[in-house]
Amino acid sequence: MSAKTGGPVYKGVGRIPDRALLLFSVLIYAFLYAPILVLMFFSFNSSRSTQSWTGFSTEWYAALLRDETIHQAFFNSMKVGVTATLIATVIGTFTALALTRHDFRGKLAADTTIYAATVMPEIVVGVSLLAFFVATLIPLGIELGIVTIVIAHVAFTVSFVTIVVRARLAGMDESLEEAAQDLGANPTTTFLRVTLPLIFPGVMAGALLAFTLSFDDFVITFFVSGVGSSTLPLKIYSMIKFGVTPVINALSTVVLVATIALIFGGSRLLVRRENS
Amino acid sequence: MQERKTTEHSPTASGAGPDTGREVAVELTGVTKRFGEFVAVEDLSLDIYEGEFFSLLGPSGCGKTTTLRMIAGFDEPTEGNISVAGEQVRGVPPYRRPVNTVFQSYAIFPHLNVFDNVAFGLRRAGVQKDEIRQRVTDACEMVQLAGFEKRRPNMLSGGQQQRVALARALVNRPKVLLLDEPLGALDLKLRKELQLELRTLQHEVGITFVYVTHDQEEALTMSDRIAVMDSGVVRQVADPATLYEFPHDRFVAGFIGQTNMFSGRVEAVEGDRVTLRTSDGEKIEAKGQEAIEANSEAHVAVRPEKIRFGGDGDNVLSVTIEQVVYLGVSTQYIAVRPDGEKIVLYQQNSHDTAGPAEGERVSVAWDAANCLVLGG
Ligand SMILES: Nc1ncnc2c1ncn2[C@@H]1O[C@H](COP(=O)(O)OP(=O)(O)O)[C@@H](O)[C@H]1O
Ligand SMILES: [Mg+2]
Repeated sequence: MSAKTGGPVYKGVGRIPDRALLLFSVLIYAFLYAPILVLMFFSFNSSRSTQSWTGFSTEWYAALLRDETIHQAFFNSMKVGVTATLIATVIGTFTALALTRHDFRGKLAADTTIYAATVMPEIVVGVSLLAFFVATLIPLGIELGIVTIVIAHVAFTVSFVTIVVRARLAGMDESLEEAAQDLGANPTTTFLRVTLPLIFPGVMAGALLAFTLSFDDFVITFFVSGVGSSTLPLKIYSMIKFGVTPVINALSTVVLVATIALIFGGSRLLVRRENS
Repeated sequence: MQERKTTEHSPTASGAGPDTGREVAVELTGVTKRFGEFVAVEDLSLDIYEGEFFSLLGPSGCGKTTTLRMIAGFDEPTEGNISVAGEQVRGVPPYRRPVNTVFQSYAIFPHLNVFDNVAFGLRRAGVQKDEIRQRVTDACEMVQLAGFEKRRPNMLSGGQQQRVALARALVNRPKVLLLDEPLGALDLKLRKELQLELRTLQHEVGITFVYVTHDQEEALTMSDRIAVMDSGVVRQVADPATLYEFPHDRFVAGFIGQTNMFSGRVEAVEGDRVTLRTSDGEKIEAKGQEAIEANSEAHVAVRPEKIRFGGDGDNVLSVTIEQVVYLGVSTQYIAVRPDGEKIVLYQQNSHDTAGPAEGERVSVAWDAANCLVLGG
């Protein structure tokens, strides 16, 4: 920033020397990513060992493709992720709108609750949701399964969407919406033609975040899932009970690559929209 | 706060502006706006005539934007009524009012290009495609933006964005155009240019303009009539010349142009001739604007260019020249009275003789007719 504003740039004067900083950064990255790289590396190992390298093979990926239960878990995760994301994004967006554009009783309470929900220990959320479902849905004949997982995921992702969309709304000039109304747009048209296009990057970012959170959630899902509704994280956990196998490594690698691709693609999309 | 009704009661206040036969475009009757305890606009009554360039002038925070927002429909008056083109607008949402606004921040839609920005209102009104194309092109031409239709707003300068905002509003042919300090964010040169352009444009399209500004010079240059506001109250409504020559009260006299003010006790009243005695014993002859009682406190004002050097006039004061500022067309003198009060006067530089120098003791004089008794 100082370079941009034309101020002096103090390069390494009276600070930690550049080379020490570089070394420090490398160590941090190694610490963060080495385990993941090891995992990916051994997913291509030709033997069952996850400790010694015996040669390159893709047999564990083939095993992955053959395993019906893994397919099932993957489809469950997708079903839950997509449905929960759609619902959470709609609710979260309108919550954000209400919190920034309207005054109502208990607004402060609503606001605080949204933030509190993001730091709530997952185990508490999981247990309380289970208790809630047992008390409400199960008497109505709705069993623990995909439906309860979706509801649970909507519940814990909605705050994240709200916060992300809200940040975007806060940075948006309110007079744009007034200008739209001034030019004859009723509230619905104003929302569709002005507000939504302008907050869309925020909405997309929120949706992406919700999907990622939903896709790899373990703790909450563990409490509210039922027979045959295992999601991918639950499936991996149950496989691990029989020891770490290269299949798990392969599966984890696929999930990892997919997640990175999603986030990378999403952020590219957002950046492009920002610039246009 | 003392409230002054200025339009109806005093002939000097309403000025030579509108003929009585003209239609009223915007009518405010007893409009008050409160935000909680705070009174932003108080008992405001105004008639703004069709085709008029009407300005709301006042210092920042005096309630100009609030007034405009009530006409546009973004805020509803706490009390009182507003009519636009003869129709009561209470409860009518902004998108159904026959007015358009040029916002202080321009509020150009950043996700739409110039064409789509300008076409926004026409599309909402369901105008045919061909007609939209024609009208948008015409509007862009009118504000000298022809050829910029495909541009994104972030590729436009401040002045160009201003023009887009103007075209976007005018293209809808509103009954009334509301402008909230539209030139406030521009540099001086561009502002002067656009002032003239706006004035010409208003004459061409014949739409009623309600123009908000805190710049008295701008208001005087552009307006047919001006309402001077202070702390939510309208002090005076008049055409620029009347406002300058016959300010109604101390606030208006001080806000519009430069002025010299004196306070004192009224000694005698004879017709509209008022004799005042200042605290240091000086006698001042002035012209009354409304009934005033002997022995009451009063304030009088005289414009700097109405004071001349010499001992010839209804009022003569002896002063010491403190500062001489050469301004080209005229010279400004700052003189000090024996009691330390300052007097400012201007002299045209058309005389061959040089004026007094700094430190010189001279007499200054002015006529009672140019020295007004002020209210407030
Ligand atoms: N929504 C609001 N809530 C509370 N006070 C407000 C609101 N809008 C304006 N005000 C107050 O009303 C006064 C007049 O504001 P405004 O009309 O914007 O002044 P101006 O445009 O003349 O500068 C200001 O003191 C401002 O703080
Ligand atoms: Mg304002």
